[in-house]
Amino acid sequence: MKTADPFQTSNRVLVIGGGVGGIRTALDLAEAQKHVVLIDRANAIGGLMTLLDRTFPTNNCDLCTISPTLSESSRSQYIELMPLTQVTRLSGEEGNFSAQLTTAPRYIDLSRCTACGECHKQFPECVNFNPGLDHRAPTCMRYPQATPQAFSIDMSRCSDPKALAACCPAHAIVLDDRQTQSEFQIGAVVMAPGASVFDPAAIDSFSYGRDPDVITSLEYERIMSASGPTQGRLMCPSDGRTPEKIAWIQCVGSRGMQKGAVSYCSGVCCMFALKEAIVTKERFQDSIEASIFYMDMRTFGKDYELYYERSRKDYGVRFVRSRPHSVFRKNGQGQLTVTFASEDSSTMNEETFDLVVLATGFQIGAETRQLADTLGITLNPHGFAQTGAFDPVATSRPGVYACGMFESPKDIPETMTQASAAACRASAHLPAPEALSESEDEQTSERDVTDEEPRIGVFICDCGESIGAVVHVPELAAFAAKLPGVALAESVGHGCSRESMSRIQEAIVEHKLNRVVLGGCSPRTHEARFQDVLQRAGLNKYLLEIANLRDQDAWVHLDHPDKANAKARQLIWSAVMSVKKAHALADNYLPINRDVLVVGGGVAGMTAALRLADQGFRVFLAERRSMLGGTANLVHRTLEGDDVQAFINDLRQKVMSHLRIQVIFNAFIVDHSGMPGMYTTGMQVGPQMFYRQIRHGVTILATGALPRRPDGYLLGQHDAVMTQLDADALIEDAPEKVKAWDTVVMIQCVGSRQPDNPNCSRVCCQAAVKNALRILEQNPETRIFILYRDMRTYGFQEDYYLKAREKGVIFVRYEPALPPVVQAAGSLIEVAFTDPVLGRSVMVTADALLLSTGFISDDESTEDLATIFKIPRTSDGYFLEDHIKLRPVDFSKPGFYMAGTAHAPKNIRESIAQAEASAARAMTMLSRENINLGAATARVDSQKCAACLICVRACPFGVPFINADGYSEIDPAKCHGCGVCAAECPAKAIQLMQFEDDQILSKVSSLLERMVA
Amino acid sequence: MITAERKPLEEIIEYIRPFQKILLIGCNECVTVCSAGGRKEVGVLSSLLQMSFLKQGKNLQIREHTLERQCDPEYVEELVSMVDGVDAILSMACGCGVQEICRRFKNKPVFPAVNTKFMGASERQGVWAERCQGCGNCLLGVTGGICPIARCSKQLMNGPCGGSTSGKCEISPDVDCAWQLIWDRLKALGMEDRYEEIIPAKDWRPGRAAGPRKIIREDLAE
Amino acid sequence: MMEDFEPVIIAFCCHYCAYTAADMAGSQRRCYPANVRIIRVPCSGKVDVIHILKAFENGADGVYVAGCLEGDCHFKNGNIRAARRVAYARKLMESVGIEGERLEMVNLSAGMGDRFAEIAGRITEKIRKMGPNPIRNTIRPVA
Repeated sequence: MKTADPFQTSNRVLVIGGGVGGIRTALDLAEAQKHVVLIDRANAIGGLMTLLDRTFPTNNCDLCTISPTLSESSRSQYIELMPLTQVTRLSGEEGNFSAQLTTAPRYIDLSRCTACGECHKQFPECVNFNPGLDHRAPTCMRYPQATPQAFSIDMSRCSDPKALAACCPAHAIVLDDRQTQSEFQIGAVVMAPGASVFDPAAIDSFSYGRDPDVITSLEYERIMSASGPTQGRLMCPSDGRTPEKIAWIQCVGSRGMQKGAVSYCSGVCCMFALKEAIVTKERFQDSIEASIFYMDMRTFGKDYELYYERSRKDYGVRFVRSRPHSVFRKNGQGQLTVTFASEDSSTMNEETFDLVVLATGFQIGAETRQLADTLGITLNPHGFAQTGAFDPVATSRPGVYACGMFESPKDIPETMTQASAAACRASAHLPAPEALSESEDEQTSERDVTDEEPRIGVFICDCGESIGAVVHVPELAAFAAKLPGVALAESVGHGCSRESMSRIQEAIVEHKLNRVVLGGCSPRTHEARFQDVLQRAGLNKYLLEIANLRDQDAWVHLDHPDKANAKARQLIWSAVMSVKKAHALADNYLPINRDVLVVGGGVAGMTAALRLADQGFRVFLAERRSMLGGTANLVHRTLEGDDVQAFINDLRQKVMSHLRIQVIFNAFIVDHSGMPGMYTTGMQVGPQMFYRQIRHGVTILATGALPRRPDGYLLGQHDAVMTQLDADALIEDAPEKVKAWDTVVMIQCVGSRQPDNPNCSRVCCQAAVKNALRILEQNPETRIFILYRDMRTYGFQEDYYLKAREKGVIFVRYEPALPPVVQAAGSLIEVAFTDPVLGRSVMVTADALLLSTGFISDDESTEDLATIFKIPRTSDGYFLEDHIKLRPVDFSKPGFYMAGTAHAPKNIRESIAQAEASAARAMTMLSRENINLGAATARVDSQKCAACLICVRACPFGVPFINADGYSEIDPAKCHGCGVCAAECPAKAIQLMQFEDDQILSKVSSLLERMVA
Repeated sequence: MITAERKPLEEIIEYIRPFQKILLIGCNECVTVCSAGGRKEVGVLSSLLQMSFLKQGKNLQIREHTLERQCDPEYVEELVSMVDGVDAILSMACGCGVQEICRRFKNKPVFPAVNTKFMGASERQGVWAERCQGCGNCLLGVTGGICPIARCSKQLMNGPCGGSTSGKCEISPDVDCAWQLIWDRLKALGMEDRYEEIIPAKDWRPGRAAGPRKIIREDLAE
Repeated sequence: MMEDFEPVIIAFCCHYCAYTAADMAGSQRRCYPANVRIIRVPCSGKVDVIHILKAFENGADGVYVAGCLEGDCHFKNGNIRAARRVAYARKLMESVGIEGERLEMVNLSAGMGDRFAEIAGRITEKIRKMGPNPIRNTIRPVA
């Protein structure tokens, strides 16, 4: 794994922390051919995410979403992975740091360890994996798919080291292993150490630590997890019974509620609890009653509001708006008692539950604070990394960046985004590498299987419960074993785990398999992974067929397991029949144009353009207006009080004067063509609308969303009614008017979280709090009412929410069924609303009514662009990313990335992070000289060709031609692989590779064969 | 090329109804190019026949094969090994191909599966139009390269009839008046004087009028 | 007899839209009838008339070709061609006495997991009402 650094200079980045964030940073850098040293204090990488059972909002298991990423990282030649390692000193400055790394002894020789598990088996008391549910151990592999795949020993807990060493059949246990120190020259540092979970044992009233049936949400994940202590069986830890009623208590350790709690919002616990409640009902028993006790439901992320709605409507999750006071077990009772005050009364209620899950928040632990001290960076008052107001991943020390939870509490997609942003910023400190030619770096020898009889290996994943809970995998494997041509059929657990992939690889060699069928998840997401496995085993990667047992069977027929099982057999049969017809194919490559087209000149577009141009790429920035800045031009201050206009002016100036950026104003995209890596986009430009074409390899879409201005509440009809954006400008430009306001009412969620715009606009709660505080700055006597549904001041925004409350802003909740009623009263506005605490209607006469109108997607423009660029959108008109968790800035179309509010509503800082992330992702592509186009191209059989010209006429791209020999010829480098020619050829002389007629027809017939099951 | 169109399915079914095993042969020449009887149409017809018979509870056995050209004996020879096992042959070639198969396999019933239509050209993808009737004495040199025999509904030789309106033939507004086309083209070429020449009555003997025709190249014929 | 009839339906799904939408239906746990069996194609324009006929010949009770929304085809107009072929194949089917309604062209985009499930449900119900493919009972049993 160690790569010798040929330069021994500072040409690499030190990434601290091997959670998903650190891995993403390392991968982005490595893909852009920058060397990385990835260190983690723990003995394997993976971080917190590997402890989760499933992730929201797709509810798939984390191991399978993360493990492809993990294996990739360990394989990559650009990443030096150093587990059990910490930074002990960092000297020098940006571009030229010197880092001292200290590695703790593992007591295991990784080159010998086969991860057989013998030490683990013989010392069962020694396993430390399940946090809080299992006991500490000298040997510890954190999860079955761990990278590097080896155990480690905690010598201080080992009573008989010699016996332990002797039990290892590989003689891999090294008792005299020592701590080592090394010195690295590095260009930049990315800190992704994550956060730690609040320990609720500090709160007496919740009985945590004293009663086994009170657990944290992370422990609940482990109970649900197939690799957890109960093998995925849901049970009460006290006596093993299946719980009938489960309560989730939100904000434990967050939002300043309990002893030792922090004041900020941990941001992700609401979604976490929703997911756990849904999965509980979905996977275990619909009859289990799931209740969530909460203060505000903060589902502000992309499509999260829909998830919240589903949890309520489709799954019947019960929501109780209340802060429980205590959890305890009455003497002799089997169940726990939760006491809570309901919102509309001051009386205490009592209710019993079998299991109580505490949604614990996140904090920065002492070790991470120590790390910050070692690196000499400033922390904010909450102990998180202090980063720039408009520079979201830059710490106080130049050249040192922070991402993920360490920057502020956040979920996985935002962590991924920031991690890519950090990669973008860090790579600026390294010299640009030469472009890599991809075809050169995959030199593997392939076995020629042309004349062999089919020997098919069928491997079936249970994907934890994802497939296994519905489809009986062992029976399916037994069925597959009997099919003609099948030499081996077995179940492989999580097929995409390192362990299973290497098992498959070995099986191919051992059983001389020449075809592989994988029954698992969608080939869309995992085909490339398994193709790699074949390649490593010396088989051509196209001798693989994937049966989509998860996304298109187990998940969609979980209501009819018998039918799902029958269909699974049919799918496996069909894959076996089809793979028999597969044959070895070679990939085609095309050179990449290294210019970039950025569409949209708002903050996101400008930032992406600037970052890429700074790293040497030529950028065309197309803006449809005659001015840069976008929606940010309308904003004056951030919640934190930073000057937006000063920032925008500076950014605009940098972009306009940059030698490698060409800004094209008044540009309307009208057409687009080309191949991955070599696109041509046509636009009409300027007042004369003359036509211009740009050639580019990468496209970043940052076209923004629209500030909403819905009808209603007298907006546009009465001078005292305005949006938060209008008010933002008024406070800045005409403070004397604002000063004269005695009473101000704000209404939240106007035009959001309603049927025509179902998602949360994310920014309006912070905008309301910001404007309230700024109004009070003008006139501390102003009475301000904020009428809200849920206050969504996530993360550190909570500080400002608290400040507003302290300064006397009155927050009153309203139900969507009972919205405030507004009417004009001369120059004033009368607002009537129901106060749920007082339980009666209140009328306020206000000088100003501020509506929090949020965002709506720029439907017209995203629709046009989606049609022109052939890219997907969500049902509410935002661009759809390739993977909602792990690839939040990538489109499924290669070389296309998105940034800013065209992806989903977000604030300026978040847009900047995503723009930097899109630049980093773009660099992974731009660092290559050519792009792999795969093998799905049309091939002509000259013996059969009648030179009829039908393909020549039918091809949408004009690729086929009749050559000098008198038959049709199709250049594989130009073929787009649609197969239209193959479908129209009257002589059946054309076949589209990977989708040949005999493959499709064998699928057709095998999917229809009636089987005696 | 020679153009053709598949016969109505019922007609084909009637031909082969008495038989169990059928050899269905395509031709990789003209009928492939006009999408009437190439490898693909063989597949389509085979599937349709199969379904049609299955619907009546009968299991038809169809063997599919496509020859490079059915109108040449050497290519037809390829079928020898296949013919023995079948009860009848269905040909998707033009009439020439069908007859060549009949000539070679005297003891097997052979049926046409397409109607041979005309000698034509592709106007565009999927559209073929008649251009030549094989009159044996080409007139295109004096008619501006547009054939009044194939393209005038009345096969007039000296200008249009009274039914020519706005350049269209009276039989259908979709049919161009051939003489309008001839005139337009001669005019464009500055050869209007050709139009003045009277074409004498057509001698139809080089065409079909003198009975079935044959071409013999003495230098090549064996 | 008709009560127990479970139709078998083949769905040719374009990789870029319908196949992705089908996966999305999965991640949203949007259930639909197990009667639908998906074959992935790079573009609906790849689906040959023969593939459709062979499906019916092999006993499919229904077939649908699912392509991108009009104007959204990754390959310009593959979905339009597919729609034309589907219309042609329907005529061919009618000529052998199989109802053309058993074959359909549908259009959707990658983000429409819900719509995918809806279509699968709708077509299954339609075919269930129509009863089995008329040639289904005479098909020789295979293997």
